[in-house]
Amino acid sequence: METNAISRRNFLRASGLAGTALCLGFYFPANAKKEQLMSATDQSGFEFNAWIRIDTDGKVTLTDHRAEMGQGSYQSVPQIIAEELEVNMKDINVIFAQGSPTKYGSQITGGSSTIRGSYKNLLKLSAAAREMLITAAANQWNASANECYAESGHVIHKPSGKKLNYGELVTAAAKLPPPQEVKLKKISDYKLIRKPLQRLDTPMKTNGEAIFGLDKRLPGMLYAAVERNPRLRGKVKSFDGSAALKVPGVKQVFKVQMIVFNTTRDGVVVIADSTWAAMQGRKALRVEWDDSGFEHVNTSDIYKAHEELLKTKEGLSFKKQGQPDPIIEQASKKIDVIYQTPYQSHGAMEPLNCVAHYQSDKIEIWGPIQAPDWVQGDISDKFKMPKDKVIVNMTFLGGGFGRKAFLDYTHEAVAISKQIGGPVQVVWTREDDLTQGPYRAGISYRGEGSIENGEISALKFKMAGQNIDHWNNNKRDKANGSTTEGFLKPYFDNIKNISFADVPYEMPLPNMWWRSVYASTNGFAYESFINEMAVLAEQDQLDFRRKYLKDERCQALIDKMEQVSGWKSRKKNEGFGVAITECFETMVGQIVKVSRHTDGKVKIDQVWAVMDCGWYVNPDIIKAQVEGSIVMGLGAAAIHEITFKNGLVEQKNFYDYLMPRMSDMPPVEVHIMENTADAGGVGEPGLPPFAPALTDAIYDLTGKRIRKLPFNLNTV
Amino acid sequence: MKKIIVITGILFIASLVMLSFRAEPVTPANYPALPRDSVGSVKAFMSVYKVLMSSRCMNCHPSGESPLQGDDNHIHTMNVKRGVDGKGLYAARCSNCHQAENTAGLHMPPGNPKWGLPPANMRMVFQGRTPRQLALQLLDPKQNGGRTKAQLIDHMAKDDLVGWAWHPGDGRTLPPMSRPAFAAQVRLWIAKGAYAPSIKTK
Amino acid sequence: MINITVNGQHHDVDADPNMPLLWVIRDIIGLTGTKYGCGAAQCGACTVHLNGEAVRSCVTKINRAAGQNIVTIEGLSINNNHPLQLAWNEMNVPQCGYCQSGQLMSAAVLLRENLNPTDQDIDDAMSGNICRCGTYQRIRAAIHKAADIQREGAKI
Repeated sequence: METNAISRRNFLRASGLAGTALCLGFYFPANAKKEQLMSATDQSGFEFNAWIRIDTDGKVTLTDHRAEMGQGSYQSVPQIIAEELEVNMKDINVIFAQGSPTKYGSQITGGSSTIRGSYKNLLKLSAAAREMLITAAANQWNASANECYAESGHVIHKPSGKKLNYGELVTAAAKLPPPQEVKLKKISDYKLIRKPLQRLDTPMKTNGEAIFGLDKRLPGMLYAAVERNPRLRGKVKSFDGSAALKVPGVKQVFKVQMIVFNTTRDGVVVIADSTWAAMQGRKALRVEWDDSGFEHVNTSDIYKAHEELLKTKEGLSFKKQGQPDPIIEQASKKIDVIYQTPYQSHGAMEPLNCVAHYQSDKIEIWGPIQAPDWVQGDISDKFKMPKDKVIVNMTFLGGGFGRKAFLDYTHEAVAISKQIGGPVQVVWTREDDLTQGPYRAGISYRGEGSIENGEISALKFKMAGQNIDHWNNNKRDKANGSTTEGFLKPYFDNIKNISFADVPYEMPLPNMWWRSVYASTNGFAYESFINEMAVLAEQDQLDFRRKYLKDERCQALIDKMEQVSGWKSRKKNEGFGVAITECFETMVGQIVKVSRHTDGKVKIDQVWAVMDCGWYVNPDIIKAQVEGSIVMGLGAAAIHEITFKNGLVEQKNFYDYLMPRMSDMPPVEVHIMENTADAGGVGEPGLPPFAPALTDAIYDLTGKRIRKLPFNLNTV
Repeated sequence: MKKIIVITGILFIASLVMLSFRAEPVTPANYPALPRDSVGSVKAFMSVYKVLMSSRCMNCHPSGESPLQGDDNHIHTMNVKRGVDGKGLYAARCSNCHQAENTAGLHMPPGNPKWGLPPANMRMVFQGRTPRQLALQLLDPKQNGGRTKAQLIDHMAKDDLVGWAWHPGDGRTLPPMSRPAFAAQVRLWIAKGAYAPSIKTK
Repeated sequence: MINITVNGQHHDVDADPNMPLLWVIRDIIGLTGTKYGCGAAQCGACTVHLNGEAVRSCVTKINRAAGQNIVTIEGLSINNNHPLQLAWNEMNVPQCGYCQSGQLMSAAVLLRENLNPTDQDIDDAMSGNICRCGTYQRIRAAIHKAADIQREGAKI
């Protein structure tokens, strides 16, 4: 067993607790680096909310402090807690936390961080609760705690077989000090963790019971639809709401402003007694916009500018070792190519929406929110309301992918509620969702590299594209912090001359994290380039990588990829492609197999994915995340893109921003590497390797190297 | 008496002019027989052909098992299939999205009570057919749904679903001529002998 | 007043006859299992059964449903025990779950009309329903599983 010490500094515990429940949580003081374990319900100066609550009737309530947007936190967080707490999954009740960084630490559900960011604490917390219950039972039996063990929500006295359920013990346990250190189980002893348990949220997602943001209803709630400037940042010059007000059900029309970081965006809102009436009223609005400054944004210009920058500028160095420039210059065997990736929309199936109720003494929000702690801070700041009076409730999210961590839609909803003086649900249409952004920025890359004696003698990458960080700060003299995201770190150990640079490119288009963030575009360029270098060196792509990715985990991953895909025994007329990327501490390798079918079209026959995410919770959820990442990667590689014409987004709905559908779905096989490394992310890292593996497979089959996404699979 | 003849004559001419849209009895006026004229007949058919090969008509007379969409005649998204009765399959029946009338708005589903493709046993393909192939196919009761020439004229001139092509909803281009003009060309083609263009005609 | 029957219950709805069935079901009748995804019959999230057919309620005016029988996800079974729901649970199909009501309502028509659907049948029936989480592979497997469950049930 592992021993884990728990911080004793400023250790807090309940003093005058009535003993109606045992509650355990960590406290994240705003100015402290380290979290503290505590058992309390109400301590002076802060409100306590627990991850674990056990009532005297034995009811166990576990809290999911992160958003559930499909990635499985509603299952995996409780699954961790239940393991060390020794309770059955079927006996627990899960609730969503409200936004509160002091109670839960960071709650932003992004960066694939839910498990890797909290599992160690959750294990310790749960083990501490278990030990307290065991101690309480041992005290009651006048036995040694060593003679007792916990199982299925009970403490059992081994010698006598006596048994008490947790509910009977909580009153006594709540009076005990939490243990100074706890023993954690070995991986081999896990009963729940690492098991493909069914998700707790599945039943309610198959019978319509799950409540998403759009399903939230409050007494007296009105519905709002907002006409926002189609050119993204323009101002309302004037509007005429008289026709809208004549639409049955429409109550009010007024101008509203939505603040996004340092920019203000105008809209005209229609308030009505049903969503449909609000939408109809909105259609009847007449708005005159001031578009100045945005009417000349065109996609083709963006990529021309990228290319020009990549050709003429060295950019801001992000990482450099050795001297790649002179080596490439003098080399005889070299390549110099440009890769391009498109702007993309998150396109979550649940369009943005938010229910807000502004009252004079508090503000309450419900919605599909990825970052409840950020929303709480943002609303508190903008509406001058103390943080503890801003209550942010997470519903289930109908997809997020980064979009629902933005603060625009929540701010807008509160502003509207404040104006009408009552609860309101703001509903974005699909068209709003697609045309308003923010988007994953399209990035262009230049790869230069040389081969000498079959080895990479030098590699040089430059990226040009919008930098997300520029939205809310002005660190414009620094290279994009994510310049190498996606690129496997061990490459740096074995490629002596290598450099990465970011050529700054400014464009006032709203851009935002999109599943796997810069790895989603970097991965395509960097791994495509490694494949091109392998071709230049006349070597097998997997063997070529083995020479540079020498650490144990990489070698094991490559071996597994080779084994599961039948890489060595591939046949003629089959195209095989490969890519391996790393993001959020997780490495994923994919092999894609394509062939030309009788209709003349190239089809994806199979995808094999191998993920090394270290310590993990639920293998079935992991497989589902990788399967889904591949579908999203397929869409971005070969099906859709966001384009701009005269400052307007050209795609409006799923008829022109096409989505992968059932008939596009290739068979996907996912394998998880078994090791004891620290946990890595799961929700995103499966996406980046797909596009470069697919285009590599197409190269293998057709000899045509695709360097610009998206491409049309029907015409390769 | 003279008056009656004149009125009758006017009515006769009027009915010749207003060739379509009304459920008229089968009379020689609706199906005039003119002297056989292969050149004139083929010329009329080529006008008919242009209409039939326009997106509004051809998209539901595809060569494959899926309807087409748009002026670029791309295969209907969503993997929609004809099905046995031409009305789609399972959860992808035409009328699940296509209503009895056009749904308002750009790119919204167009509609008609009879919306669908020809059935699987009578596929009536337009896409890819040469003028000659299509003319012969249209005239062949085994391939045209068992229609006589008169019924073929009726179908082209009066059928409500065919007529949708001239009321296709927001943002859709119209066939290259009006429906009355189209119906008149169909009549001319048949009246002058229902000639099929030569193999070389494109 | 427009009379419609939803999951066996009669409702007299006072609504604009042009209001899509989706918003009547969600905002007036108050059943929120049927989802808004696109409003243009593109994504299938709003799929309900109108006299047994998998119509897209976002483009189906309430007028068309007058006097007709509508079944929503809430009425697909009494106890979440339709063979598809059992299979969906067993195969852990949903991720975010938002599209799954529509997926299930579409699949239910497929399974009613075809007791043993092939992969091609599933492609033909299910490609009108978008899942951004990418659960297609599991939906496919779960439909096959549900067909098995349905056949087993039929034997008993």
